[in-house]
Amino acid sequence: MNLPAGSIGADAALVACHECDTLHRLPALRPGRTLRCGTCNAVLLDYPKGGLDRPIALYLAAAILFVFANVFPFLTLDIEGREEMTTLLGASIALYNDGMGELAVVVLITSVLGPALVIASCLYVLLGVRLRLQLPGLRTTLSWVSHLEPWGMLDVFMLGVLVSFVKLAGMATMHIGLSLYAFVALIFVYAAASAALEPQLLWYKIGLRREAAHASH
Amino acid sequence: MRAIDRSLASCHTCGLLLQLTPGKHTSCPRCGDAVHLRKTNSIRNTWALLLAAIAMYLPANVLPIMTVTSLGNTQSDTIMSGVIYFLKHGDWPLALVIFTASVLVPLLKMLALTYLLLSVQRKSPLRKNQRTRLYRITELVGRWSMVDVFVVALMAALVQVGELATIQPAMGAVAFASVVILTMLAAMAFDPRLIWDNHGVHDGNT
Repeated sequence: MNLPAGSIGADAALVACHECDTLHRLPALRPGRTLRCGTCNAVLLDYPKGGLDRPIALYLAAAILFVFANVFPFLTLDIEGREEMTTLLGASIALYNDGMGELAVVVLITSVLGPALVIASCLYVLLGVRLRLQLPGLRTTLSWVSHLEPWGMLDVFMLGVLVSFVKLAGMATMHIGLSLYAFVALIFVYAAASAALEPQLLWYKIGLRREAAHASH
Repeated sequence: MRAIDRSLASCHTCGLLLQLTPGKHTSCPRCGDAVHLRKTNSIRNTWALLLAAIAMYLPANVLPIMTVTSLGNTQSDTIMSGVIYFLKHGDWPLALVIFTASVLVPLLKMLALTYLLLSVQRKSPLRKNQRTRLYRITELVGRWSMVDVFVVALMAALVQVGELATIQPAMGAVAFASVVILTMLAAMAFDPRLIWDNHGVHDGNT
């Protein structure tokens, strides 16, 4: 496949670097190759191997792991026989109960809601494009993903788990719950899924809006 | 050759390259978002968000991020006291991680954005590549500062065992989260292409 004549609007074979604005004529790119800007070295296009099937498989796995990461105990704390358990959602709930509503929303979005929406949105768009379904809102969903992705912080949350673990280990016994194992797996699968998906490729496959495509002919 | 020299703009959301007509609003025919040559009011918005972040930096470091009540004793923890705690217990790798993520990264990020803004406003022709790389790193590492907010949330969720020990989040954590979010938004509002603009039309780039 000769990829990607992404820039149908002006010149089919041109793309501008998003960091330095240098114009590039897109070469035919093979899967597994990355195209970088010759001026500032920014990644212009990452063409992953495995087509659309690989990100679909990875995001499906991420969706399953996400459910597991949320329904079982995450961490259990044991102080002199008194046990305190939390789930992934429990971190946000605790902040809310302590009167820190704003902070609860921040933690909820970065650790639960953001990643959940990214996984669901990517699956929706990927399946819609892969199965050639005329699903409503494909474009809106895909543009959400690019705005949402920076706010998903699963990896940072994991570092937070590690730090809390060490901090609390001195005063109590900690037990790792099933959800924490699922969460660790989720971080890797989520990162792999994100790397296997080049949004520009999806945009190219989705193409112009019908009315815009008609107008340009 | 740069896109701006030909009045070509790439859509911020989907990357589609479009011919702009001066004075006319263009929305992307592919994703529907508004298309501009550069992010709108980039310098003004970045300054506003950056100054707000700077204003929150002091309370974020001075106010306690959580209070620990254990067997009747109440103790307040700040960002720095968390670092010192790990140092005292000989856990210097963890102390280094927390110090880097919570103290160093936000500070360096605000300095980097200030430098980028000033250099763009002075239309500096120097070190465009290094400045672009600085911007890239700034955008990449900012999120890791959120780690202390997660620590507070997790500890508050876990340590609720009544009279034995209770951990409660405090206002410093809110201020700290605002610094992280404001600097992230500031980095997003900044348009790195401004670094490369206004140095004459042709400056050796193809």
